[in-house]
Amino acid sequence: MPPKGWLGVIAIVLVYGHGFSRADSEISPSPTKKPPISAGSHWAFQPLKRPPVPDTGTPSATANPIDRFLAARLASQGLALGPEADRPTLIRRVSFLLTGLPPTPGQITAFVRDRDPGAWNRMVESYLASPHYGERWAKHWLDAAGYADSNGYFSADSDRPLAYRYRDYVIRSHNRDLPFDQFVRQQLAGDESCGWKPGQPVTPEIIESLEATHYLRNGQDGSGESDGNPDEVRTDRYYALESTMQIMGSSLLGLTVQCAKCHDHKFEPITQKDYYSFQSFLYPAFPIEKWSKPNDRVVYASLPGELETWERTEQRLQAEQKVLREDFHVWVAAHQPRGKVLFADRFDDPAALASHWSNTAPGDDAPGGTPPVTLNVEQGPAARIRDGALDIIEGGGSGDRWLSTVQSFDWRPARTGEWIQVTFDLVASRLTGKGTHAERIGYFIATHDFNNNSPVEGGNILVDGNPGGASSVQVDYPGTDAKGRGAIGISGYKAGRNYGVRVTRKDRDKLTLEHVVDGVAESGTIELKDADLPPGGFGFEYCCGRSFIVDNVLVEASRDDDPEWAAKVSEFRTALEERRKTFEQREKEIASQRSPKPGGIAWVTDASAEAPEVRMLKRGNHKTPGDPVEPTFPAFLRRTDGVTGTPGIPKTPVGTGRRTAWAAWVTDPGSPQAGLLARVTVNRVWQRYFGVGIVATPDNFGLSGARPSNPELLEWLAAEFVDSGWSLKSLHRTLLQSAAFRQSSAPHDPGLARDPADIMLWRFPLRRLDAEAIRDAMLASGERLGTKTGGPYVPTPRDGSGEVAVDESQPEAFSRSIFLQQRRTQVPTFMGNFDAPSMVFNCTRRADTTMPLQSLSLLNSTFVLRRGEDLAGRLHRECGEDILARVRRGYVITTGREPDPVETSAMLRFIETQRQAYAGRADAAQRVWSDFSQSLFALNSFLYLE
Amino acid sequence: MNPSPNPYSRRAFLGHSAGGLGALALAQLLGPARAFGSGPAIPGHLRPRAKAVISLFQHGGPSQMDLFDYKPALNRFHGKPYPGGNLEIHFDKQAGNVLGAPYAFHPHGQCGMELSELLPHTGSIADDITLVRSMNTGSVDHESALRILHTGRFLAGLPTMGAWILYGLGSENENLPAYVVLSDPGGLPVDGERNWSSGFLPAVYQGTPFRSGDSPVFHLQTPSQVPSQARINQLALLKELNLHQAARYAENTELAARIANFETAARMQSAVPEALDLSGESAVTKKMYGLDNPVTEEYGRRCLLARRLVERGVRFVQLFLSGQPWDTHDKNAERLKGLCARTDQPSAALVKDLKARGMLDSTVVLWTGEFGRLPVSQGKDGRDHNRHAFSLWAAGGGFKAGYVHGATDEFGYESVQDVVSVSDFHATLLHTLGLDHRALTFPHEGRASSLTDVEVTGAKIVPALLA
Repeated sequence: MPPKGWLGVIAIVLVYGHGFSRADSEISPSPTKKPPISAGSHWAFQPLKRPPVPDTGTPSATANPIDRFLAARLASQGLALGPEADRPTLIRRVSFLLTGLPPTPGQITAFVRDRDPGAWNRMVESYLASPHYGERWAKHWLDAAGYADSNGYFSADSDRPLAYRYRDYVIRSHNRDLPFDQFVRQQLAGDESCGWKPGQPVTPEIIESLEATHYLRNGQDGSGESDGNPDEVRTDRYYALESTMQIMGSSLLGLTVQCAKCHDHKFEPITQKDYYSFQSFLYPAFPIEKWSKPNDRVVYASLPGELETWERTEQRLQAEQKVLREDFHVWVAAHQPRGKVLFADRFDDPAALASHWSNTAPGDDAPGGTPPVTLNVEQGPAARIRDGALDIIEGGGSGDRWLSTVQSFDWRPARTGEWIQVTFDLVASRLTGKGTHAERIGYFIATHDFNNNSPVEGGNILVDGNPGGASSVQVDYPGTDAKGRGAIGISGYKAGRNYGVRVTRKDRDKLTLEHVVDGVAESGTIELKDADLPPGGFGFEYCCGRSFIVDNVLVEASRDDDPEWAAKVSEFRTALEERRKTFEQREKEIASQRSPKPGGIAWVTDASAEAPEVRMLKRGNHKTPGDPVEPTFPAFLRRTDGVTGTPGIPKTPVGTGRRTAWAAWVTDPGSPQAGLLARVTVNRVWQRYFGVGIVATPDNFGLSGARPSNPELLEWLAAEFVDSGWSLKSLHRTLLQSAAFRQSSAPHDPGLARDPADIMLWRFPLRRLDAEAIRDAMLASGERLGTKTGGPYVPTPRDGSGEVAVDESQPEAFSRSIFLQQRRTQVPTFMGNFDAPSMVFNCTRRADTTMPLQSLSLLNSTFVLRRGEDLAGRLHRECGEDILARVRRGYVITTGREPDPVETSAMLRFIETQRQAYAGRADAAQRVWSDFSQSLFALNSFLYLE
Repeated sequence: MNPSPNPYSRRAFLGHSAGGLGALALAQLLGPARAFGSGPAIPGHLRPRAKAVISLFQHGGPSQMDLFDYKPALNRFHGKPYPGGNLEIHFDKQAGNVLGAPYAFHPHGQCGMELSELLPHTGSIADDITLVRSMNTGSVDHESALRILHTGRFLAGLPTMGAWILYGLGSENENLPAYVVLSDPGGLPVDGERNWSSGFLPAVYQGTPFRSGDSPVFHLQTPSQVPSQARINQLALLKELNLHQAARYAENTELAARIANFETAARMQSAVPEALDLSGESAVTKKMYGLDNPVTEEYGRRCLLARRLVERGVRFVQLFLSGQPWDTHDKNAERLKGLCARTDQPSAALVKDLKARGMLDSTVVLWTGEFGRLPVSQGKDGRDHNRHAFSLWAAGGGFKAGYVHGATDEFGYESVQDVVSVSDFHATLLHTLGLDHRALTFPHEGRASSLTDVEVTGAKIVPALLA
């Protein structure tokens, strides 16, 4: 049923792309059926043909070709391009557009004062030459390319620790304006074109070629975690390959190839055979039967001497760290007044493991979990003694398991003040050389029975050791009767420290559970009852892909036989505080000198030079393979100018050459597909300038996509882009020169009456900044913005409250947003509210939401409050006590312009009322100006580009 | 020229704000804030029966043959090889013989619905619910199946049905989020926040988790160091200055919405705690939900909150359990007993309470997991995943009362009669809300994406489920 009425038209427009375009605002109510497939004449599938620039008769006013294309159409409605915006507005537009950052007050003043005719170009060139240009425009490409720092697919959403090298490659390529066709070819087949083989010497150029291929692995890939039956594993692998194809189709050709996986595309001329022919170009790199998991698709290629230098440094730092930690532990061990040792294991003897530890809790009749933990094997779930420590090896799959002491302990000290505690050294929060950082280090006290409905109440108390802070506690875990009891302690779990919990008797039927770090109990305790603590063992939890290494498990109890014991403990604690400060300082120093092993590149390359057979899959199902397919190109994108239609597969020094052939095909000068690539690319750039592309569906240039609002303009821009040598910076210069870009955003009645949606661009469209620009601009305003230019991401953990945010105490906390962790399931809360995407495939267009959660975060989030404090500090530094100067400076920093009289007087009144509101408080002055600064960030004059 | 000038011009302004230049169609669908009170993205296509949904989601795959779908053959063949042919098995090395169903079934209500003895309270609402015994889905993997149930497809990161419903219907209370998630205080469900993601729909349609504690919504409370007068001054300032700026763009509804949102945000600070405050509920009500019993208290509290939220105009409320407790790979019988003890009474109380208050006609209560379980054992006493059959129940909002739909084979392995796919169910649910699943689309991946993706799934409304 076609939807009815006006709304129906909209739906049809979206599905079929008929009837509506910016240039042709007529809405056709007629088409209700699938349009005829006439790929032969579809505009987007033709080679580029540079159209003549319209003669508007007034060459002086509209000299720029873009303006002449637009003016012709505007004139037909009695409209014209608007007057030029003022200079502060213009430089703010250019600065945000090219660098994603606000202009500095100095830049604004210089540009406003520069009356030389070359002022515009000088200003534009300075931004194009800024390294921040690459950081901004790389992010746009990374959106289109589906970049993420995690694998997605399964809820583990495991880490992609080396993806950053591709991100940095994209930044560098943009900054040096690598011709876009080369940029595309390098991402598709850089490994084949450079011909490098593992072990050979490398050059910086080779390294870039290898890094570039990460483009092909931006899709979601759960194959590292697949644990189902062979069919499911195969499905998971195909999914990674298909995601890559979808990203290529969308980001390069503006086509939705995935619909042709199961059947010929319903709306596009893409046949199912085309789909699998396309797949056959990539299949050699993603062979389903000879699959490499994400962590195995890594190659080490480092520049001469790089590795040796790193190894030397690493050895030295490791040695220093070892000595430091040993000294600390030795000191603690020597000085800590010891309790009664009830149990101790230093894990020196693999043969003794089974006598101390078991997969079955004391008193239980069956092991914990399915499958249960096995001792002294490598295949998880397992526990193994290695190098004098205990490896907790998680095995994937679902459900909980545990490893418990064979020995049972009495967890209920008899008299008030007495305690029992268990501690262990956390040697590593992941297994050496593999796996991701365990998100939690889970362990149990009072393990007695894995049984969900056991007769014993309580017990099985799970402490979820959290790397980010307090550890949550659940009683009677696992099972549906588990009860959350809140959190204990404050310290996060880091390798090299000693952790545990202590149970102290407070009263009759009243015990406290404390978190113990390096022998000292922390603040943040919870209360337990005797029933919560039946006799039982101590154990480690297996869950959720968390593997880690521990040592020195020690269970001890307070002494009741030494009257001076309490005094000794207190003395020890004071001494320890001092020790610990020095220790932590040194730990930080060492950590800051460490770097990941150089040369690791997460790349893509063919599994062999011999291409495996690729078959069509009936209904897209790998259980029903069909006919074999060959690497051929789709018929609807075929040259008709006599030049050979199908390039052959070249012989490449490595690989099958298939991706090289596809890369050459898609950038083949004069071909329809290269024309399509150019159109799709300039359209995405246009969209960043004006909010909506000339084709409103940036990911669909097919028959079902929107028609271009100004087809000649798009064609001209694409031809210009190709003729400029595929230079994005040239394209920017052309766009920035246009009066269309430089016109005011002010409305006027004729425009609103005749073209209310500004389809024809009679004014510059007012637009909200995107999430990254908002965050970065807030940081820049308070002069907080970090200087990071590349390297591993800045983590964005989920804190105890569930909020995803950067820990501001870490050194790179204030880096630009492009350097924040882009984990699919963990978009920073603040940025998600402003439409930062959670990457599924890719993102060719950001949403633009307005909602109260944004207002709440602008008013109440710690991030914005702190940025207000930063800016207040800057204003004080720069303007002293001069109130008016601070108000004006604050406006210039955040909105790019001076406040007008209404704004000035409102702000001065506000300062006065805030002074009264904070009267009598020591920090009143600071609070007043923080409120002022924070308010600037909540102004639409800040959040929008006018 | 434009055939319908009025909506065109109105929408065009929205278009301007949504994308800058308002491709009309995109603007219509992208739209500005609607999740907090203004109108829906697309006016209802059809006459609605329901206006709100409460989803009691049961993570892990509840065992249909032990709870909802009586299969005497299981006990006859207990311990013997499965006689029914090939089974699709997830953990294929651990499959055993047929595993009997340990709990007795009894007929309930006038309709005589047969339910397990573990579900006496659900039995007491048998005459109010539709029980579908013939569901199936596309994956035996938890995450994928969760996504199919929540988003219609197995891919990660797509909009959930709550987001789609909100996108289609908008909100009725501008001071509360219209899509609220009440997750288990014990922890996030499997797949975490993806379970309430707005995916490619604008972020305004995402679910808002209400946490326990002082600040149920992120950044809800004014920071403690800011006295209330200072905040009042600040809100006044923002209003004045933003109105001043917006005066230059009088036609711009997005700027206006952003100004209004600061006031909404302030109202939320009191509206949210009020909705969560149970002190005004009677002792009888609390007892009905099991708040007097430690076993049912926690889940009962959230069921009661769900009713309060819907009462206040919230469109979609979803309850989750931490982890995936119904995933009974071992000790199936024992685990089911514990889970039913925890959830049966509160779930049924919710339906009874809504009915007593006259709200059941306009509120759908949905009780489902992501898939079912196998008739054979896994290990000695567990059941493995099964995508070929599972059961769910729905009450109110136009669903039939006292009705059992469809049937599985003799062993409960596969739905064979009147089979309902997840997408069929989605289509039916949207239909009761007055939404045409084929028309509720949003441009994504270069096409008109929808919850049911009818071109791929062939989803169709199941009229038999509806009164």
